[in-house]
Amino acid sequence: MMDADLSPLVLLGGGPDGWGPALLAAAMLTLAVAAAAMAIGTVLGAALTAALMSRRRWLARAAATYGLILRGVPELLVVLLLYFGAPGLLASVAALMGSPAPGSPPAFLTGCLAIGLVSAAYQAEVFRGGLLAVPPGQIEAAIAAGMGPFTRLRRIIAPQVLHRVLPPLGNIWQFNLKDSALVSITGLAELMRVSLVAAGSTRRPFLFFAAAMVLYLVLTSASSALFRLVETRGQRWAGGR
Amino acid sequence: MNEEIAFLTVTGLAIVRALPVTVVLALTSALGASAVAVALVAAQATRVGRPLAQVWIFVFRGTPLLLQMFMVYYGLAAVGPIRHGLLWPLFRDPLFCAFAAMTCCCSAYIAEVLRAAWQAIPPGQVEAAQACGMSRWTRVRRVIAPQMLRLALPAYGNELVMLIKSTSLASTITVLDVTGVAQTLIAHSYRTLEVFCLAAAVYLGLTAGLTALLRRIERNLERGTGR
Amino acid sequence: MTEVLRARGITKSFGGRAVLRGIDLDAQAGDVVSILGGSGSGKSTFLRCLNLLELPDAGRIEIAGTTAPLDHDRKGRPRIADPRALNALRAKTAMVFQNFNLWSHMSVLDNVIAAPVHVHGQPRGEAIERAHGLLDKVGMTGFAQHWPRQLSGGQQQRVAIARALATDPDLMLFDEPTSALDPERVREVLDLMRALAAEGRTMLIVTHEMAFARDVSSRVVHVRDGVIESMGPPDAMFGAGASPAFRAFLAH
Repeated sequence: MMDADLSPLVLLGGGPDGWGPALLAAAMLTLAVAAAAMAIGTVLGAALTAALMSRRRWLARAAATYGLILRGVPELLVVLLLYFGAPGLLASVAALMGSPAPGSPPAFLTGCLAIGLVSAAYQAEVFRGGLLAVPPGQIEAAIAAGMGPFTRLRRIIAPQVLHRVLPPLGNIWQFNLKDSALVSITGLAELMRVSLVAAGSTRRPFLFFAAAMVLYLVLTSASSALFRLVETRGQRWAGGR
Repeated sequence: MNEEIAFLTVTGLAIVRALPVTVVLALTSALGASAVAVALVAAQATRVGRPLAQVWIFVFRGTPLLLQMFMVYYGLAAVGPIRHGLLWPLFRDPLFCAFAAMTCCCSAYIAEVLRAAWQAIPPGQVEAAQACGMSRWTRVRRVIAPQMLRLALPAYGNELVMLIKSTSLASTITVLDVTGVAQTLIAHSYRTLEVFCLAAAVYLGLTAGLTALLRRIERNLERGTGR
Repeated sequence: MTEVLRARGITKSFGGRAVLRGIDLDAQAGDVVSILGGSGSGKSTFLRCLNLLELPDAGRIEIAGTTAPLDHDRKGRPRIADPRALNALRAKTAMVFQNFNLWSHMSVLDNVIAAPVHVHGQPRGEAIERAHGLLDKVGMTGFAQHWPRQLSGGQQQRVAIARALATDPDLMLFDEPTSALDPERVREVLDLMRALAAEGRTMLIVTHEMAFARDVSSRVVHVRDGVIESMGPPDAMFGAGASPAFRAFLAH
């Protein structure tokens, strides 16, 4: 039987001709790419924030330049650069160390790293904004009350920064989710890639792109609902604002 | 060394030659998206338009632009009424499809920016306009629109920067913009790093130029209110 | 005497809480009516009902011969029957707000000429000429090209009064015009309002300035719990004939 004759229900279902399970697995992989990118972005973003606010001029300037470039260049270009450029880079590093070329790195890692590098540039801005928004009086009051640096960070600064950075971090998470579609060009079987493959092999692009859109909408709206929940909880925690 | 310089020159020229495609795509979709965004905000003030505008914003903000482009270029081509309709010459053109997808997508983001600006207008400003008897249209024209413009400008500028970067996705549906040409050059030369750095520099130039321009407009507007 | 304001049976509630419970008030041309009362008494809400910034749930408002186009929808909620008639009614009034509400994107001059030009269709040149005269009158000569945020609170409020005068309104509504001012700026605004009262402007003033109310008003109205508790000429209200409730309010 020709695929073009199969009903959408069969094509999206779980039977032998159905792409349902593959699409769901792909959606999970999309989630994993976005989450790993977010984590990379948080760690690197925190480091960038520290550098941005450092008293060492060159360090602050280097971090600012990093942000300027990663926020000014298309995400697609970053993904492409890492995907096509990484094998060569790895090979030259290996050659320097006298070991044989390792071949191309796994697509998952390259993809997460690319999205994470961009995410870090945006997260650094958010962290910096959150820190600067803590009124100096709050810290002075903590010092006056005899709190040490760690207690200050834990009891005064962190709660105030957290409730300021959560909403913009939620935004960045949404961008990570959507940017993860770019990783499809590396061949990683995430949602965008699998919907492309399904569209190609069944010649039903409209159906599968629509299905992918629905799955992306589920991911983005479910996670934004989750973020809102955490926000309201966090606000209660930070003093009922 | 000479060979290196020759390669960079040829590559650079090829990329610069693709610049008009990127710029035209960015300009037209910026105009289209802004117009649709204004319509979306206006629609949200009516009972019938409100849910429609909200669905539009939800769908286009909640899915990747890459997927939207594939949907417009490959997905709609498989739909009979479009394939055999009057608009087929348009939807057969990848550049038009990129423009259409970007207009829809960016309009959703810009509409949210405009709505936030609308809500940020201090109520007293509108009340003062009502109290002296200004009609709805006069209020929009003389008080609400100018105040919205000032409040929305920074975030609107960010959206335009995002839009410039998004034009690179058009390369995935065969448009030969800066990114598309860069990919072709790499396929021929295998010199990934050099080509991508040149392309990145072009985008940086565009986004930095736009940022500087917007900052200038902002400063002029601020001077216009005596800050 | 010409009647400028006739308000009958004004009621208003917010979320089930009755803020105004039937207020009647008249004003003749040249009247200066001070509306006094504790916070939450409904005095500001009443003033905002008169130019329909708040829609009263029930009642009838007439300003200089024009009836407010009030109506109710099927669920009984108040609504505006005719937006044009509403704007015509508002064009006969002017309001001075507690927080000035000068349009922040317009110069002082543009603030003053906005209503004459864009509501009343006055030629721009004429409006500008008149605006300069009004700025002289409120003591803001030379500030025409300044921006609102360059001015002190008192200066902003004086510009707001010039803006209100620009359309030569039949009725001026003052909503706590000095409450947002520094103490040392209050007098410059009160002096200006005193001058307006002396030249025969019809004014409704919600205020906490008791001495001003006593000296300037032709009538003092005490609002309590959404009704007019007592009213009368200032001599009577601040003298021996005052109601116990008003006396208690003054003593507070």
